Amino acid sequence: MSMKIIFFTSPTCSWCPYLEGVLRNIIANIEMLSLEVIDVTKNTEKATEYHVVAVPTIVLPNNQRIIGSVDEAFLRRQMDQFLIKGS
Amino acid sequence: MIISTGIEELDKMIDGGLRTGFCYAIKGSAGSGKTVLSLNMTMGALKKDIPVLFISTEVDPEKLVIYGDSFNMNLKSYIDKGILAFEKMSLKPKGTSLVQTDKFDLSAIIARTKSKMDELKAKLVIFDSISAFFAEFIHEKTARSNFMDFIREITDNDAVLILTAESQISEEYSTIEEYLVDGVIRIRTELKNNQLIKRISIPKLRSAKPINFENRFIINRDGVSILRSEQPPMTLIQEEKIGIEKLDEKLGGGILSGSVVLIETDGETNYFPLFLQIMCSNLERNKGVIIHSNVHMYSNRIVDEFKRVDYDITPHLNEGNIIFIDKYNRSVTEVEAREMSQLMTTDDMISVTVELMEAFRKSEQKVTLFGDLTDDANILTESNFLRYFALQSFNVKEQSAIAYSFINFNAISREMLARLRNTADTIIRFSREDYTTYIECLKSSTGATFLPKVVKYKDKMPLIEILD
Repeated sequence: MSMKIIFFTSPTCSWCPYLEGVLRNIIANIEMLSLEVIDVTKNTEKATEYHVVAVPTIVLPNNQRIIGSVDEAFLRRQMDQFLIKGS
Repeated sequence: MIISTGIEELDKMIDGGLRTGFCYAIKGSAGSGKTVLSLNMTMGALKKDIPVLFISTEVDPEKLVIYGDSFNMNLKSYIDKGILAFEKMSLKPKGTSLVQTDKFDLSAIIARTKSKMDELKAKLVIFDSISAFFAEFIHEKTARSNFMDFIREITDNDAVLILTAESQISEEYSTIEEYLVDGVIRIRTELKNNQLIKRISIPKLRSAKPINFENRFIINRDGVSILRSEQPPMTLIQEEKIGIEKLDEKLGGGILSGSVVLIETDGETNYFPLFLQIMCSNLERNKGVIIHSNVHMYSNRIVDEFKRVDYDITPHLNEGNIIFIDKYNRSVTEVEAREMSQLMTTDDMISVTVELMEAFRKSEQKVTLFGDLTDDANILTESNFLRYFALQSFNVKEQSAIAYSFINFNAISREMLARLRNTADTIIRFSREDYTTYIECLKSSTGATFLPKVVKYKDKMPLIEILD
């Protein structure tokens, strides 16, 4: 089963490039996860559909959201939580 | 471009109407009518075929349409016409859980709003409400500071942005949105003679002189209607004497009528000579006196104290110039009264006071109010007490009366004292050090203040003398 993580970003967001890098790093090693990156300024429909108000926003498959930048260790812990639950 | 609010009187109050490129805040307490007023403005624009984007942070769009129906606003027809859209924006959609940090910006709401504006060609954007929106953020400060970008981006688009914001009744401090916006429309509800009265004013308006009076408004089936104010402008309010010669002189002649005077005492200083002297001088100038009794300040004690200094107040009592409002049951002992639940609610007391003030005014008598607030401050919850003080101060201003509120500053918190000081127009501190009593003025309605002066007590009227 493949699960998708959605990452909302914008060109003006100063935290986003770092967080996107971290996210890509983690996901690269987990086969079942894929990443969709959405620029809210280009794809406002998707931002509206997911009710996104702030960036960076990470929408995880278990309906959890991370709003604001976090460090890698924290992000890994959050991922582990739903990976364990999901599997 | 100027957009009408749809309410003629309000247009006049804000210098003709809403200006594109400007951001306005509608501030009011919960239930004061912020959403109705913003829906009214929405209709005002739609009727002139100006497209509107309405962003709601708490109420679902369907509910807003139904809400509009109850004010004869057929919002649905404008949605169908494609010139009105509702957009729900909140941080936490139903069924999600959130982790939040302070490293974010709000470019998503900016992008969503701008794209919707382009689609509609909207010239009016309403954001209802920023208070509810910010409340969802754990890092509210970051959200608020980022919100400046939102204001800038939307108004730069040659549109009017209206934000609604919640305010507390005893709020004295301007919140960040008041500095950022170009105009503030303030609405508030107050209790008067057991009726809820709504008032609207414009405390800030960039590019035009704000008007200094409040208008009443009502909400009925047709939405908001504003009634013209009957209150005189501030400059017509006259100066009054306190009745202690040196004190009046030091305050630059007296205090303005409509003033709330806070007299702070430490628990040990006997403020009664000061109180009796001011009361006596008011009575001699044929003014009506209302006293909010409590365990420190009550009828028997006041009569006894006057007797002790050989001053006969029976004529004034007989003429009905002195009225005691006894909030606590005086037939019980002082200690019991303290412990008893209140017989009269604070709201009752305020409405009785307002009725009495009006009765005095009808007989062309000016009114002075006295009360010791220390017990109220301890018995009531902080918010109820501040609300009571704010309401009473408002009524005093409206009736052009004067209120002297005595309080033991050692018995209340610093925060409470700070808020009382903010509401009061004149602050007099009465305290004792090494057997000497001092009087000091920290703030006054005339702008004059003075450093501590020695007070001398006397056995006969005048009971107080201020030495230089």
